[in-house]
Amino acid sequence: MPDTQILAVAAYLPLLRFDRKAARSALGWSGLGGSGRGTRAVAGWDEDSLTMAVEAARGTLGSGDGADIARVTFASTSSPFIDRSQSGVLIEALQLNPAVEALDVSGTRRCAVAALSRALANGVAGAELVVAGEDRHAQPGSSASMNWGAGAGAVLVGKGQGIAKVLTRACVNFDLLDFYTSAKGGDPYAAEDRFVRDEAVAHVYGPAFRAALKQAGLTGADIAIAVVPEPVSGTYGQVARGLKMTAPNVCEEIAASAGELGSAMPLFGLSLALERANAGDRVLVAGFGNGCEVLILEATGKPAAATATEALDRGAVFNNYLRFLSLTDSLSLDWGPRAEVNQKTSASTLARHGRDTHGFVGGRDARGNVQFPKTPIPVSPLAEGPEQYEDVVLRDVPAKVTSVTADRLNFTPDPPFYFGLVQFENGARVAMEYCDCEGATPKVGDPVAMRFRVKAIDRQRNFRTYFWKAAPIERPVLAKETK
Amino acid sequence: MASGIKDKVVIAGMGCSTFGERWDMSSDMLMVEAFQEALADSGLEKKQIEAAWLGSALDDVNVGNSALPLATALRLPSIPVTRVENMCATGTEALRGAVYAVASGACDVALALGVEKLKDTGFGGLPIRTKGSVNDLWMPYGSAPGTFAQLAGAYSARYGIAADELKKAMAHVSWKSHQNGALSEKAHLRKPVSMETILNAPMIADPLGLFDCCGVSDGAACAIVTTPEIARSIGKNHLVSVKALQVCASNGWESQYGEWDGSYVRNTRIAARRAYDEAGISDPRADLGLTEVHDCFSITELVTMEDLGLSDDGRAVFDVLDGKFDRDGAIPCQVDGGLKCFGHPVGASGLRMAYEVYQQLLGRAGERQLSDVNFGLTHNLGGQPSNSVAAVSVLGRIE
Repeated sequence: MPDTQILAVAAYLPLLRFDRKAARSALGWSGLGGSGRGTRAVAGWDEDSLTMAVEAARGTLGSGDGADIARVTFASTSSPFIDRSQSGVLIEALQLNPAVEALDVSGTRRCAVAALSRALANGVAGAELVVAGEDRHAQPGSSASMNWGAGAGAVLVGKGQGIAKVLTRACVNFDLLDFYTSAKGGDPYAAEDRFVRDEAVAHVYGPAFRAALKQAGLTGADIAIAVVPEPVSGTYGQVARGLKMTAPNVCEEIAASAGELGSAMPLFGLSLALERANAGDRVLVAGFGNGCEVLILEATGKPAAATATEALDRGAVFNNYLRFLSLTDSLSLDWGPRAEVNQKTSASTLARHGRDTHGFVGGRDARGNVQFPKTPIPVSPLAEGPEQYEDVVLRDVPAKVTSVTADRLNFTPDPPFYFGLVQFENGARVAMEYCDCEGATPKVGDPVAMRFRVKAIDRQRNFRTYFWKAAPIERPVLAKETK
Repeated sequence: MASGIKDKVVIAGMGCSTFGERWDMSSDMLMVEAFQEALADSGLEKKQIEAAWLGSALDDVNVGNSALPLATALRLPSIPVTRVENMCATGTEALRGAVYAVASGACDVALALGVEKLKDTGFGGLPIRTKGSVNDLWMPYGSAPGTFAQLAGAYSARYGIAADELKKAMAHVSWKSHQNGALSEKAHLRKPVSMETILNAPMIADPLGLFDCCGVSDGAACAIVTTPEIARSIGKNHLVSVKALQVCASNGWESQYGEWDGSYVRNTRIAARRAYDEAGISDPRADLGLTEVHDCFSITELVTMEDLGLSDDGRAVFDVLDGKFDRDGAIPCQVDGGLKCFGHPVGASGLRMAYEVYQQLLGRAGERQLSDVNFGLTHNLGGQPSNSVAAVSVLGRIE
């Protein structure tokens, strides 16, 4: 193995958690609705696999600017675009060097671990960011509708002192159809649970785990923490028994409170595992999907921040099943003529301004005042004429609410619409939307943090634009029983 | 040094259509309704009009763009016609064009007409529009009440006014306008409403409830302006002149520069100061007999009282609750019901305000007539507090 290590990990969940009891209650008449146990993470109307991936990726940068990153891989099976480089938008959002190598991978949930495995095996000069985001749609009433959740995870790999090193990699290909999603169908079609569990143990996880342990010269008992996504509940327990693995599987915990996160599950789980691991602990990470990818890692340090723990501990629970259906694009409401505004995006405008809007890049004028957006003549009252600006990225600059309202007239897919003026510590002032308020209107002077979000969705043309929104700086702590 | 326009131009005649849900009227019919009244009032003939300005803010709703809707509706005699648009300040902008034309000597008689046919949108509130292909990439799509509601939170924060105290004062603003609107024959809403109803209305944009918001209306208003000499030559003895007409547009300072605290409208303050200087008014609290201000929302009117210098900063809440701006108060505001009750066909509103002040100065306001009116002020506010166009005019008598 080359000396490529895991340098940083981070995880992200949307604010909202849907209480599965509400689905069980709403669908009780039909016998559908699942177990009713736990919660699942639900993306806000303005979140998708890309926005969540950006948020997770930010966590791996820490206070740095990602200047060392030479390659970016974005993994998802629920990308909003089939042919638009989401890794490219992510690069703009993080203001990375436009010349870095970019790749979008998809096709199976295990794509994120496959990408991570290759990154660890091959390495690049500099660092590679592997980031996965997932916000999958499933038909109401299906198991997936309740079992799946939205979220993201990111891993930064590179040379030098990291927080984990790879001991071995293994791979098994087996076309087990636990479910499949076709390009035309759009929603998953699932096979019988008992069949899936038995076959996954016998032909996928079992052989792959055995091979990995053998290559690393380890036994099942040597694994301290497992990150094993389960196609069906009980899969890990069955395979672990056969290999004498006693390690807890963090994916079971994540699935209970956030849901099965698809391609993002192993990366989210890896964050959680490394937050809990002690130096020397072995962590088995698997990516499942028509076979599997397996990594065995050894923890060598701690992540800079416990982003996965924080994501699981904080959020806002809701129990309105109709709102859940609306947020997950499973219910088409007639929002009236106010929702009919034409939101067509000009490709030439996006080409001119997209890097600044995606990256939240303002400018510092000759007097030191920062503004967004940059304009030919600065807003500073002392400016006399056109000037050149020094670029200033605003996404991590501390900011406060100058004005705000909860607008119930303006159309938004999840009312009310919060917006107002945000004042940044460096002097910039920007009219912005607020997000993640969940019924509590921010107050003048409240601190806010920037979040990368969908700005507008053009439903006529199936396009979406992205910008930053201001969110309350802290999320509420979830009650223990809802986690 | 510019001498300004004080007393250089007089209003020869004014007209105003009935405002409201004019389902049976198109914009050309509304224009004719207002114009015929103005023409008859002026004592002039249509052929004497040498130039015209059309104010219409939302050309895509019925009216259409360019000069043609006005020229065609009134069958104007092949004269220069200009369409102007300055958001909610559009009506006053049209008047400014006509007044400046006469004041410059470019023509002797000019027409300003504002019109809007908003009820053809098919829904309540203003039409939803994009902000342009660049701004749409980042700027929030807030509603009008949403943009103005933010004044309330910032005002409370600055002056330490409790939210419920401010809400009560805002409710009084609307209560007063409903009382006044009931006396206006051409008003859209003519029903008094109780404070309890106002305070308990559904929320539109925190903290603006339904009755804190003006509706939108169909309507047109019109002024024919000329020189004092021509007016006198056709036998007019009681003349209303334009004492001042000022417009001030944001340059982005409020929304992009970190100084404004969001609790007031700077453009109104600048436009008012210039208007008072132009009109020679040194003490507006003593000199103004009435005001017609842009009460698109109750909080706007309340803050505008401070911006116009009619209340001390932070005191408008108490002045409003003390009745200072009621019809029987020291400086009556919106005696015709204002935007709140007379209605708000955007392009017509500035001229509707001038219409009421004109009627009051000539003693023609009927049940609404105030005593002792020497000067009246109109105030329009286009856009939103953080990015606005403010227009202030002062009208008065001329001997």
